[in-house]
Amino acid sequence: MSVMAPLVEVTLRGLLGRRRTILLALLAGLPVLIALLIRFSGGRPDADRILDTLVVRTVMPLVALIVGTAAIGSEIDDGTAVYLLIKPIARWRVAASKILVAAGLTSVMVVPAVVLTGLLLGSRGGDTATTVVGYGIACLIGGSAYAAAFVALSLFTTRALLLGLAYVLIWEGVLSGLLAGTKFLSIRQATLGLAAALGVDVPGSEPLAPAVSVFVLVAVLAGALALASWRLSRFEIRGGD
Amino acid sequence: MSASGPGGSIFDLGYQSYTGPRLGRQSAVRALFSQTVRSCFGIGRGGRAKIAPFTLAAIAILPAALAVGFAAIAAQAGPGGAVIENASPIRYESYHGLVSVLIMLFCAAQAPELFGRDQRYGTLPLYFSRVLTRVDYSLAKVLGLMVALFAVDVTPYLILFIGRVLVAPDPATGLADEIAMVPRFLLQAVLVAGLLGGIAALIAAWTPRRAYATAAIIAVFIIPPIILAIIYEQSGQELARATILFSPADVLAGTNAAIFGSIPDSPVVAAVDLPGWAYVGAAAIGIVATIGLTVRRYLRIAA
Amino acid sequence: MSDEMVPPPPTGTTALPGATQAAPAPPPLAPPAAGPAPVQAPAPSTPAALEVDHVSRWYGNVVAVNDISFGLGAGVTGLLGPNGAGKSTLLHLMAGLLAPSAGRVMVEGESAWRRPEMYRHVGLVPERETIHAFLSGREFARLNARLQGVADPDAAAARAIATVDLTDAADRPIGTYSKGMRQRAKLAGALVHDPRILLLDEPFNGMDPRQRLHMMSLLRTMAAQGRTILFSSHILEEVERLADSVLVVYAGRLAAAGDFRSIRRLMTDRPHTYTVRSSDDRRLAAALMADQSVFGAELVSGHVAIRTADYDAFTRTLPRVARDAAVTLFEVRPTDDSLESVFSYLVRR
Repeated sequence: MSVMAPLVEVTLRGLLGRRRTILLALLAGLPVLIALLIRFSGGRPDADRILDTLVVRTVMPLVALIVGTAAIGSEIDDGTAVYLLIKPIARWRVAASKILVAAGLTSVMVVPAVVLTGLLLGSRGGDTATTVVGYGIACLIGGSAYAAAFVALSLFTTRALLLGLAYVLIWEGVLSGLLAGTKFLSIRQATLGLAAALGVDVPGSEPLAPAVSVFVLVAVLAGALALASWRLSRFEIRGGD
Repeated sequence: MSASGPGGSIFDLGYQSYTGPRLGRQSAVRALFSQTVRSCFGIGRGGRAKIAPFTLAAIAILPAALAVGFAAIAAQAGPGGAVIENASPIRYESYHGLVSVLIMLFCAAQAPELFGRDQRYGTLPLYFSRVLTRVDYSLAKVLGLMVALFAVDVTPYLILFIGRVLVAPDPATGLADEIAMVPRFLLQAVLVAGLLGGIAALIAAWTPRRAYATAAIIAVFIIPPIILAIIYEQSGQELARATILFSPADVLAGTNAAIFGSIPDSPVVAAVDLPGWAYVGAAAIGIVATIGLTVRRYLRIAA
Repeated sequence: MSDEMVPPPPTGTTALPGATQAAPAPPPLAPPAAGPAPVQAPAPSTPAALEVDHVSRWYGNVVAVNDISFGLGAGVTGLLGPNGAGKSTLLHLMAGLLAPSAGRVMVEGESAWRRPEMYRHVGLVPERETIHAFLSGREFARLNARLQGVADPDAAAARAIATVDLTDAADRPIGTYSKGMRQRAKLAGALVHDPRILLLDEPFNGMDPRQRLHMMSLLRTMAAQGRTILFSSHILEEVERLADSVLVVYAGRLAAAGDFRSIRRLMTDRPHTYTVRSSDDRRLAAALMADQSVFGAELVSGHVAIRTADYDAFTRTLPRVARDAAVTLFEVRPTDDSLESVFSYLVRR
């Protein structure tokens, strides 16, 4: 297991380049900023709404997308991935370390934003603690699921960012709303379902059942690890010739 | 030219320098422009480059094709058909809401390639050392992107239009009915292509790395409306009114409503109740400003 | 060896590519049955550390490596070929980064593909320039050491850095390195775990002569310790200087293998040329032309250029003819016994 430490380190250092960190900080800070704005312009407290629309539907998937596709995607892109592959390390460990970093970084960015926003605004129903804890845990797992899925995706295509965007905006944004039977195929719905199961009053149509939500999130995490390990073990790097 | 001596020889390979007429600057600009438009659709670049643009364009056109089918069935059904047709959610005024996301994805997919490639691979000097000026280059690229977006945006409307005309009991009356819509959707398509294309071009010109540019473009399109909705609900109309013109997506929703005289898709736009010309004006200013800033970027870039 | 008199092929005084196209190919000098020996690497004296067995690799319609077989043991082998010949593909196949479309690639007796364990004993220096720019040279070496599971990563990294002579700049970020320094950093990363097999893809790219000499002597030392070293290059001088044996690839196929002088001797359909300086060039030339092993002698100012089909026979013929003609030999030099002439012959067949 000690070989995971250097993998995690080098991935983190590669991810937190100056530009990317600023972009992520801006995105993660956005809900907090809005919350401050509303608080100081005397608005009505409604953390639920903001956490749902701004965080779960927008900031969380975007952060997970940026971090997840870059965790191994940027190394494949610039050719430094080879140095990690020509080492006597089991492929699942490499995959696990990448997913760990991506999920961890996403959580570190999103969960504090959730907590701060919730505390600043307070829940409409009055039970702020439930809202903060519910959304916090849901975003922890949901964000990790997103990040893991995007790490796996980036091993299959160089346009993972675009595909991920299409998934979030088109599939989760529009289509799965239209086709009621496919609700469970959406990480967003699973996240909201988990939040609802933890007592949060999620606005909108009926959320996904708790058992289904948990199952979907766990399946995504496990499936992403399995797929990424499988793909890495067969990953081909062409020569320059 | 060939020569031979005791130590070596020079051989005539038949190389000739070109002495004929040279096409001028206009031709160069036109070539770059057409190459930009074709590159947006992946034409001339192999199969893989075509997947993203054509898929997005196909999804954008699909509802229009369906609507025409709908209308045809409605026409067959006689008087009851009018009810079916009125129930169809796919109409000129509502189309923008359906396809705006696709146009945004199209921008996010293609703009970084168009503007980032030359910067990353250092081919800008190749362009700037020709008869093409920096202004020519940037304008050709930006307008190329806008024209490509216009083509994708206007096609569904055209399909709707032609479909409705043909499906009408008498083409001549059908034409008379529908012709009023043509200048409207043309204008809306111009504004959409111009504003979204201009913003995408500006961001891509500033961010050569593809992943960042894509993320930034999408963020600029989809985040402001969400923030605006929140601001409106929490702080009321005043603040929302002041800031709505900074959200491109909402501006275009507003122009759509103004041009077609319909209810806007976005509830914030509906609630804020700004006059139509404010949106159109904001869009026009946005288009000009983004083009200007992109040109400025290329005037100052080191190459 | 042919017994009849064969007219000398047209002589060309130039070696420019444009000229040889005009000259017809020289007629074969040996009967077809005794044609050029089949291309095969000499059997390695130790069991092959690297073995490539009828390996092909294609991408759709493009065949990058076409039915190549060879075995490598201890020592330095050069993989020589023009750009696009498949050298990088072959190296990546041996490094387990590509799966062969046909055939097997064996490293230390086991398949190279999908076996991460093999990297304990294999080091690769890839061609691509980019490495983690935000790490310093020392950190990069240390990262490689830790990932390899080396017992004392810091010491191993320091050793590797010292070996490649990068100690001064070791603590600066790699992003600030020159091209040659980056090459050395890559090499340091590949040496930290003391690999038995070292694969280098165009390692001397971007190095100045001093650095190149240093790296060459380093590789020679390592090979003398029993390691198997394979490096690729398209520059003939590098391969000629460093490699004990050569693998020549061209258009995905193995054109020749072995020590390049032996290869030269196998090219029996191509005459050997010698430059001889003597006390009486004209008399020597006339006397040599009478001999069967010689089929061309040309008087150039200061020496005689002789073409002969049979290397062995000529070495016995020349002293005898010179003594019989009472001519003193001052200098006898083979003029096309270089890797360059071997190579240009091979790729033009």
